[in-house]
Amino acid sequence: MDKLRVAIIGCGQIADGHVSEIQKLGNATVVAVCDTEPIIAEQLAIRFGIKTWYHSHKEMLNKEQLDVIHICTPPQSHLALAKDAVDSGCHIYVEKPLALNYLETVELVQYVTNAHRKITIGHNSEFDPPSVEMRNHIKNGTLGDPVHVESWYGYNMGGSFGKAILASPDHWVHKLPGKLFHNNINHMLNKITEYLDDDTPEIHAFAWKRDTTQNFGDLRDDLYDELRTVIRGKTVSAYGTFSSGVRPVGHYVRVYGTRSIIDLDYTSRSVAVDRGALYPSAIGRLLAGYDKAWQYTKSALKNSKRFYQNDFHFFSGMNLLIKNFYDSILHDAPLPVSTRNIVRIAWIMDSIISQIQGEKQS
Amino acid sequence: MIALVTGANGFLGSSLVAGLLSQTDYQVRCIVRPGSSIEKLKKTATDFPDRCEIKYGALHNYSICLDIVKNVDIVFHLASAKSGAPAEMFHGSSVTTKCLLDAIVNTNKTIRLVHCSSFSVYSVAELKSREMVNEHTPLERHPEKRDLYAFSKWHQEQLIREYYKKYNIPTVILRPGVIYGPGGTPISTRVGLSVFGVFLFIGGRNILPLTYIDNCAEAFLTVAEKAAFEGETYNIVDDDLITAGKFLSLYRAQVLRLRFIRVPYPLMWLLSVLCEKYHVRSKGQLPDVFTRYKSASMWKPQTFTNMKLKQLGWTMKVPTDLGLAKHFEYLT
Repeated sequence: MDKLRVAIIGCGQIADGHVSEIQKLGNATVVAVCDTEPIIAEQLAIRFGIKTWYHSHKEMLNKEQLDVIHICTPPQSHLALAKDAVDSGCHIYVEKPLALNYLETVELVQYVTNAHRKITIGHNSEFDPPSVEMRNHIKNGTLGDPVHVESWYGYNMGGSFGKAILASPDHWVHKLPGKLFHNNINHMLNKITEYLDDDTPEIHAFAWKRDTTQNFGDLRDDLYDELRTVIRGKTVSAYGTFSSGVRPVGHYVRVYGTRSIIDLDYTSRSVAVDRGALYPSAIGRLLAGYDKAWQYTKSALKNSKRFYQNDFHFFSGMNLLIKNFYDSILHDAPLPVSTRNIVRIAWIMDSIISQIQGEKQS
Repeated sequence: MIALVTGANGFLGSSLVAGLLSQTDYQVRCIVRPGSSIEKLKKTATDFPDRCEIKYGALHNYSICLDIVKNVDIVFHLASAKSGAPAEMFHGSSVTTKCLLDAIVNTNKTIRLVHCSSFSVYSVAELKSREMVNEHTPLERHPEKRDLYAFSKWHQEQLIREYYKKYNIPTVILRPGVIYGPGGTPISTRVGLSVFGVFLFIGGRNILPLTYIDNCAEAFLTVAEKAAFEGETYNIVDDDLITAGKFLSLYRAQVLRLRFIRVPYPLMWLLSVLCEKYHVRSKGQLPDVFTRYKSASMWKPQTFTNMKLKQLGWTMKVPTDLGLAKHFEYLT
């Protein structure tokens, strides 16, 4: 197999990112796209020069000899579509969240494993440059042992997707068990589980609606927009924050280790290592500021070099994730995201969502 | 007689609704997207409480479309997406149009359709410099090379034509140029655009295909009354069109002394070549905001005519100098 024949199911907003990143790789071709709404499939195909589009995924699976399917539809349809794709012999890349709950996630992972196919999930930010750099710091011992993680995920309800959610009570996000959080907190949690050994850590979650100015008189009024989570594993604890109210909209992780504290900023793509004051007294306090400035300068210089080398794309994490996934198919390399991690995150999400729902009912 | 207006709370929509209420006897059913502000419409509706009905409705829902076209005689279809992600743009323009057309087809009544298209559907990049743009100008052969708005409007118009041919829906298509007036876009991109806080004045001595908001709404009323509804098309531009340079100098004199850099079209063409090449070489690290095709579509000089619309009986109610004065006054 020289080149993988790839197709996309679900031609919404994120599908653009998938197609453009696949087209940058040399070992795969997007041969078809599919959406239940033919117009949406057609516009994607025309813009990216893809010759074939479908409105029935079954017809596409029957007609095209496909190796990989990217499932970019709303989560409610993931399980059924993924099973159909696996049945036709395809490996699957499923957008997050993988399924509607833990049981569905386990069912799908087992289904894929039993069919000797491969699966990955759209955890792009796990492969963004700050995450990759962080793994190097862990490997060379800069961090020491992780003790605590703070993962912050900001969300903009004024963005195009946020506006679409607020525009209609029929939007699929309102029908997810965990609504807005369900569609987004994978990005907050996968930064935490990387440092956590436990499969079922202790979890406490609190959520509320901060913006109470808009009242629609329908499902949209139930849309919580702030979430705080405390997670306690055997050796590592974590705080997870999802906020729609804070500006600027940020995406950060702070990892506290036994040797240093490392700050990862996914927006500016900077990584800064805080080793504390290296010199005593006032000199130490004075130089610590310069040390921090140097850390950020180094990140900016690295980013400039990447930009000069045409390696500073918005979806660089997705690109690396897809590349690693295709390598796992073509060369039997390890999966980019372990199935254990996929399942663990589903369990944690279930726990968070059930606590929020319990809170709402009480 | 019931007139349905989609996109009724938009810039053109609210002016058209006001015109329908003040100049015709239609009962006006206004459809607005859920979550949209209807303040302006409400104000218009209060003067005609018995003749104006405002309904929220997502047009991509077929059953909602069936409901809103009930007992309607004429549809003014103005709804379309102006910005957003590609799928959203097509959802807001073409998918909604398809649902509306299906609903029109499946009612037992003959409903006339006035569709609001755009100048952006014309294949102007392939025209000669200063060539006339009229209703016979060919449509885009490569709409995907233009911006998303142009592509989605082109697609929307193709659907309208397809349904006209297939189901014989009495249809007229109107293609307004640059609609301006109080509440509209302050400066059209045909004049130039802001890049990193610097205004690039690219339009030079190009004639702008302007139409004042009330004149444009008047064109819709004229067409509704007098057109044959046999799939014909009318361009909407005013008389006394001015150049981009004149527009900018008036804006600077009356609104804001905007600092600008003059970019002649040949230089813009060269910038577009560089932008395209960089976009390809860097695999899309920066978006291809400028391409030769986009620049030619936007800033190659053209001339315009409103002859066909005038022959139908449309006259310009607000002269251009007065329209511009109102436009600039609103901005101060």
